[in-house]
This record gives sequence, C-alpha cells and structure tokens, in this order.
Amino acid sequence: MHLRINGADYALELPPHTTLLEALRDGAHLTGTKLVCDRGECGACTVLLDGDPAYACLTLAAACEQREISTIEGLATNGELHPLQRAFIEHDALQCGFCTPGQIMAALALLRTNANPTEDEVVRWMSGNLCRCGAYPKIVRAVRAAAEQLRGDGQA
Amino acid sequence: MAKRKRTATQPAVAGGFVATRVEVEGREEIKIVERPAFEPEPWGADAELHIVGQRIPRRDAMEKVTGRACYTADMDRPGMLHTALVRARIARGRVVRLDLAPALAVPGVRDAISEPDAGDIESAGVPLFSAEVRYAGQPIAAVCADTLDIARRAADSVIVEYATAPHAVKAEDVLAHEAPRVRDDGNVASGGRRRTARGDVKRGLDEAEEVIEREYRTQVALHTALEPHGAVAEWDGEHLTVWESTQGIFNTRSDIADALKLPLNHVRVVHEYMGGGFGAKNGASTNAYVAALLSRRTGRPVRCINDREGEQLDSGNRPATIQRVTLAARRDGRLTAMINDAVIPLGIDGWFGGPAKIFHELYSCPNVRTSETFVYTNTGAMNSFRAPGHVEGAFALECAMDTLAAALSIDPLELRMINYAERNEEKDREYSSKRLRECYEKLRDSRLEIRDSKTRSERAESPSESRISNLESRCVRGVGIASQSWGTGGGPPAYALVRLNPDGSVDVLSGTQDLGTGSRTVFAQIAAEALGAKVEDVRVVIGDTERTPYTGNSWGSSTVSSVGPAVRMAAEDAKTQLLEAAAGLLDVDRSQLSVSGSVVRVRRSRRSITFAELGEELGDVMIIGRGSRGPNAEGLTLTSFGAQRAEVEVDVETGVVRVLRITAVHDVGRVINPTLAESQVEGGILQGLGYALFEERVLDDSIGVPLNPTMHDYKIPTLADVPELDVTLLDIADPAANHTGARGLGEPPIIPTAPAIANAVANAIGAEITELPITPWRVLEAIRLRDASRDSRDTASLSAR
Repeated sequence: MHLRINGADYALELPPHTTLLEALRDGAHLTGTKLVCDRGECGACTVLLDGDPAYACLTLAAACEQREISTIEGLATNGELHPLQRAFIEHDALQCGFCTPGQIMAALALLRTNANPTEDEVVRWMSGNLCRCGAYPKIVRAVRAAAEQLRGDGQA
Repeated sequence: MAKRKRTATQPAVAGGFVATRVEVEGREEIKIVERPAFEPEPWGADAELHIVGQRIPRRDAMEKVTGRACYTADMDRPGMLHTALVRARIARGRVVRLDLAPALAVPGVRDAISEPDAGDIESAGVPLFSAEVRYAGQPIAAVCADTLDIARRAADSVIVEYATAPHAVKAEDVLAHEAPRVRDDGNVASGGRRRTARGDVKRGLDEAEEVIEREYRTQVALHTALEPHGAVAEWDGEHLTVWESTQGIFNTRSDIADALKLPLNHVRVVHEYMGGGFGAKNGASTNAYVAALLSRRTGRPVRCINDREGEQLDSGNRPATIQRVTLAARRDGRLTAMINDAVIPLGIDGWFGGPAKIFHELYSCPNVRTSETFVYTNTGAMNSFRAPGHVEGAFALECAMDTLAAALSIDPLELRMINYAERNEEKDREYSSKRLRECYEKLRDSRLEIRDSKTRSERAESPSESRISNLESRCVRGVGIASQSWGTGGGPPAYALVRLNPDGSVDVLSGTQDLGTGSRTVFAQIAAEALGAKVEDVRVVIGDTERTPYTGNSWGSSTVSSVGPAVRMAAEDAKTQLLEAAAGLLDVDRSQLSVSGSVVRVRRSRRSITFAELGEELGDVMIIGRGSRGPNAEGLTLTSFGAQRAEVEVDVETGVVRVLRITAVHDVGRVINPTLAESQVEGGILQGLGYALFEERVLDDSIGVPLNPTMHDYKIPTLADVPELDVTLLDIADPAANHTGARGLGEPPIIPTAPAIANAVANAIGAEITELPITPWRVLEAIRLRDASRDSRDTASLSAR
C-alpha cells in the first residue's frame, strides 16, 4: 500500500481492511493521531484528506492511495509551529492533550474553508470533537485567535 | 509483628518521626512521617513572589500540540505484541465452556490465557479471568498477537458458553428478601453499614418549625477519560517494566509486585503522558496484570489497552445513590437537624466514598445523623470519580436547602449564610482558612443577566399557557446556586530532589503524575521561585519509580498541596548549597548574596555569578537539594470551598434544559498558575454539567447488561453544550495549610455544578428536581406533576367551597 502522508511517501505492507488510523499508528508509526472510540463518535482521529477532514478510524487506508494525507505531525514546518498550534498553547486550549491533535486538525479544516469563522461557526464545526477535560471554551478562543493570526499573515 | 491499628484519635510521636492526619478523598488517615530537616518560612499572603502566581504556559503543551507526547497506547517496543480481552456477556453465571483453540489457530496469534493462567491475581473486585461471572464485561480470557487487528479477530473466535444465574443490578433488588447472592461474602459490603451522628437529631426535629423530607436519586456516571486504561509490559529476566496510564506509579508498582510476588525493586512503573484519569486510574489496571502475564509467557513486550466498550463497561464508575434527606430548621432559617439515609449500590466492588460526609461539614447544625448502606450489585466495580461521594451528597443537600429556603420564604443564598459553619463541626476543629463567605458575597455581587428577564417563569404557570409553540416564548429561565467543601490539604509523604547541572540547568525529580492537570508546570514554577532560577531552565521529571523519589497518588486534589512543599524545600535546600558554593567562590559572606533569574549577586556590588558559571567551577560536583512534605498542622482541617450559580433556560414543551451561564467562585488558597487553575475549574464545571444533564450508564435490568458503552450513547458534554463560564479564584494564600499557601482545586469545581443547575431548573419551571440526570422526560414529568398537584388543589378548593 502506498500512502502519501505529510508530503512523504510510505510503502506499507497492510491487510486490505486496515483502517487509515491503524495504518498511521501501527504502519507509519505516526501516533499523534489518537484512537479513542474507534467508530467515528469522538473526533480524536481527525486527519485531512486532500484538505478535507476525515475520521481515520472510519476510513480504509487503501482508499487513501493517491490522496494527500495530513496529520498533526506534519503541521509544523521546519520546526516552526502552525498558528493553530501556537494559539492552543497560548490559550491553554488543552489539558491532558489526548484530543488535541484531532481538535487542531478539525480546526485546520475549518480555517481552510472559512478564514473568519464566528464563534457559532467554530462551535458547530468543532462540536464533533470531544474533550473530557473540558478545554472547550479555550479551544474556541484559540481557533478564533489563530484565524485572526492567519488572516494577518495572509496565509488563509 | 502485627500492625498496630492507628486511629485518628491516637496521634503517636516517636523519635524524629511524628504522626499527622492526612485527608484524601474524604478518608482521614494517620501517617507516621519523619520531621523534615527544616521547614521553609511559609509564603504568606504578602510574600513577594515573581514566578509563582504567573500565567506560565503549560510546560508540556508543545509536545501535545505537535503529536509528539507519547501516551501509554503510543508506546511501541521492539517485537511488541497486542492484546484483546474476551469479556463476559452476561451479568451473573458461570462459564461452562471456554475454548481458546480457535483463537490460537489464527495466524499471528502468539498466546491466549484464561482462569488457570491467572494464579491468585484479583482485579476490579474479582479473581482475574474468573469463570464465575459476576458482572457483564468481566474479563474471562485474553489473546495476544502480532497486531491488534489479529488479536481482536482471534478474541472474537473464542468459544464461550455460559450457564446463567439470577442477577441483581439495582439497590432494591440486592436488598430484597431472597435476593440473588451477588458475591460470596454477601450483598451488603462488609462494614458497609456506616452510621455517623452528632448531637441529638430527635431533639433537633422537635425544636424545628419547618421540616422537609425528600428522596433524591443519582445515576451511575462513567469517567470516560479519552485515553482508556492500558499498559505495556516488558520483562528483562526477573525485572519487569510497566508503562501504565496511572494516577499513582508507586501504588501501581506495589499492586503489580504483590500480584506477581516480586520484590518492589524488580518492578518499574513509568507514566509519561496520560489522557485523563478523573479517579479511575489509582492502581494497577487489569490491563497491566494481563500484559505482565502475557509478556512473561511469550518473552516479548506486550501492550494491552482497553477498547472503548471495555473501558465503559469495566473501568470504574461513580455509583448511584438513593438518599432520603430530612432538613429541619427554625423559622429564622437556622438548621436544627439534618438526616441523610442513603443506599449506595457500588457494583461488584468499591470503597465507601459515600454522600453523607458533606452533610456533616458544609453547614452549621448541632444535630446531624447519616447512615449509608453500601451494597454490591452485578455491575462493574465502583471507582473514585472526581470528588467521590461529595458530588452525590451535594446534589441532595443543596437541592434540599433550596426546598427548605422556599418553605421558609428565605432567599437560598441567605439561607446558606445563616447556616454558615465557621469551623469544622464534624471534627470539632478549626479550618486552616475558610473563605466561603467571600465566595457567596462575590457570587451575590456578580453579574446576573436573567434576573429581570421577562421570559422568566410566569409563562410556565399553567399548562395551556406554557404550551406555546413559539420557540422563544415556550422557554422559561431560572437561577440556582449551590456550594461546596472538599478536603484538599494533602500531606506527607512526598519527596522531591532538585539538581543543579554543570551548565546551570535545573532538574526537579519527583515521583508524581501529570494527568493533564499541569503539575509539571506548577512544580517548575515553585522550584524556580524557591531556587531563584529562570523557570525556562527548570525541567520537571516525574512518573518513574526508578528515576524519581516517592510521592503518593494524584488523587484527592492533593498533588500541589502534597508535592509542592517537597519541591519547594528541595529547591531551598539546593539554594542553600548553591549560595555556600557561591560565597566561597566570590569570597564574600553568604548573607551578602541574593539570587534570582539563575544569577547569584553580591548585594551593593556589581559582582555576580551565573548558575552556569557556578556549575562550570564546580565541575562534576553536584548540588542536590532534598525535600520532603512535612506534617500537617495539628488541630486544623484543610479544606477548599466554593459556590456556583447556574442560569438556565428550559423549553417547557420539549423538556430540554440549556445552561446559559455558570458563575463560579472558589477558595483554594494560593493559586500557583491562574491560567491552568482556571482551565481545571472550567473542566470540573463541564463534567458537572454532563452529570447534571446527560450522563448515565443505562442498563437493561432484565439481563443486567449496560446498553450504552459507547461515546455516542453515553453522552458527555460537547462544545455545543458549553455555557458562558465566569470563573473567579479568590487566590488568597493559606500558609497554615502548608508553606506554599496552596490547597487543591481539581475536584471542588465539579461538586456544586449539578445542584446549582437542578436548583435553576426548579426555579425556572416551579417544580423540584430530585433525580439526575435532568433529562427532557424528567423535566416534563416534573411539570406534569406540578400541574397535576395544582389541578387537584384547584379541585379541592372548589369542592371545599
């Protein structure tokens, strides 16, 4: 199976029914993407496929050949954190951190389609990403702050 | 030598050791600890601190936002095998046939184990892999394989046949005449009838001018940490290393050493990052035992992580309660008697974290009597869950207080002020510091948006008026308050080391845990403050029984108040050595030196030496500071307090409750890092909101099997459920609690949230809420009963005419 993850090519020997989540974690050893519910209920395994958000636990890895897979590990460029990552740190938008990669990838997908989301739009978009520590209020603040930063940088 | 039983009334002192009381999760224990070599001068309210109290970003946030943080399930050891557990599908009975052969025949499967392979290990209240099934979800076998996918498919192929037996999953059923035997040692837990009393309740009732009696019911709630229980085990000869998602590495170590009959120093337990615990991860998990057994048999590292269903079925829970409450008061509001008779169905095992204690400590009342009956049921075992017992007790007590306030026509907040407990009447002791009155006052003075709202309850007066289809006009709003107490003072033993490296960087080593609470960050702040180092130069190493000295579990909101003083003392000890070395090198008297920002300066001079220069001069000669947590002050109770107000909107047509805002004011002593503290308070409130409105383990009583062991069907709050949160921490040091002035705050914020919401809903609809969670159908039922009682009153007054 040939997967392109964060711009790098991976040739993996995997059974055909392998999910993208298994391929990422156990095949490519990219464990930033988390397994929590394993059935598309919590958002912790959110990754981007050609820029669109997808639950890796509900996606067959084999269906992702020829697609650009983006995970949390690929977000920082040359050691420089993405504005979303910086905003999550600055606003303390995490506690245990287990849902954080999924939260950030979901937010990234939002900001790609909507450079200036209202609070309501952030809430609606992100409400499929569960957080048990209750970092929610700060997640909203972080996403909006990152959006503002990105607009200022002209990257969005 | 027989262990002498120590009780709270017999503090003993021997040699350099001293007896001290430590309260953890409502349990008070006497610990015998050595007196520390010295106790630093307490950081009082006016202490000039520069790093403690600052909003320093979370130290491990970088690892968490980049995906680099390695949690237990991310551990990958060379040649590691993966495990799937086979769990019982019945609530009670016997496994009469268990055939592992089909699993062992699956290519890639390396081993499979069941009851005969488990020795005498017990876990979660039952013998590991016991063929005697006592709850649905009980592990009965395990399969390990090259990949998790193979292990799971193989586990599904294991043939299991059961002979079912009668089960009991409800308190009423286990206490019924001729009830099925839940456990061999009986349905009521040994020592599980607990009665506590002060004063004379009968006299209190006689003196009362108003008495209210209610029955409150709370549900079973599940921790639902995003990271499930799990462990990785690896043997090296007779030495075992276990990576475990745990709140207590040393507890886990002793559990594993006991179970496998190993010396403690043959077991190493490591906790690096963990995805939440909330009380459910206080010792070795079943997963750790299974991984260790399979790893020993296969000679390979083994990972065993719960899948979500297993986690929701079998990792602990907040038990249900049935509480019959009586409050009696004089017309002026003063309480004369309080009673709570409670039944707590624990599940197949658990400890006695009951709802009674808060009845003895939150209000001033001369006559209090509580009884708790802890019973076993054929369901998964109870486990500590964020303020165990107090959350359930506070719901009953604080709802009853509002009912009493209404009966007396006294404002609910005023009634709480009238019954303010200046001292701890339960233990007959003073508090180290109690500022709950200031919390009430701040709450009273804080912004309340909906008091003057026109949408408020008038529209709910009659069913015909309330059933207006217009969405806005069928919503009614209400306000409710509730308050909280919780022992958070921590105590010994806890140890820390502070090392100055030759390059001037600093290591703090302490065997504590960071559950996502931020302990790494606050200990860096405390160490930097006490040592005079730059906080960015301080690294905190935790969570490894071989690298770090002992501290207790991260439970009972006690990590900062237990470990913080040890870290501070270690840093002060290192500073003393560092100043001595600097004085020698600079050829000045020690008293001439001051230290800050990792630089030692000579007062009234330009001479200075940086930590790095000092380290270079010293070469490999190390400065190692040692710190320990000293005893708690005699005769004081160390408790955190707080009060919350909920503003809610109730759709009287659908019964849906929406929380608009929670205002929270908490008194936790000094706040080491306001940002992290506020995050934790917000998280506690949101868990309390879930408990109030959605969360409930639902069973099919007829078969005793949980119906909602998924994250879709067990409803935790989502982003869309979050109300406006307005959090205030008084942040006034409590130097009598310990020399950092900080008490704990992890658990307190979850305690008052559900009763505040319930009181707000009651205020909105004009009908009491006595059962959690406050689901739409319960709200509609409360409205229906309210209308029915009004109708019957109307009928009665008509016929009386």
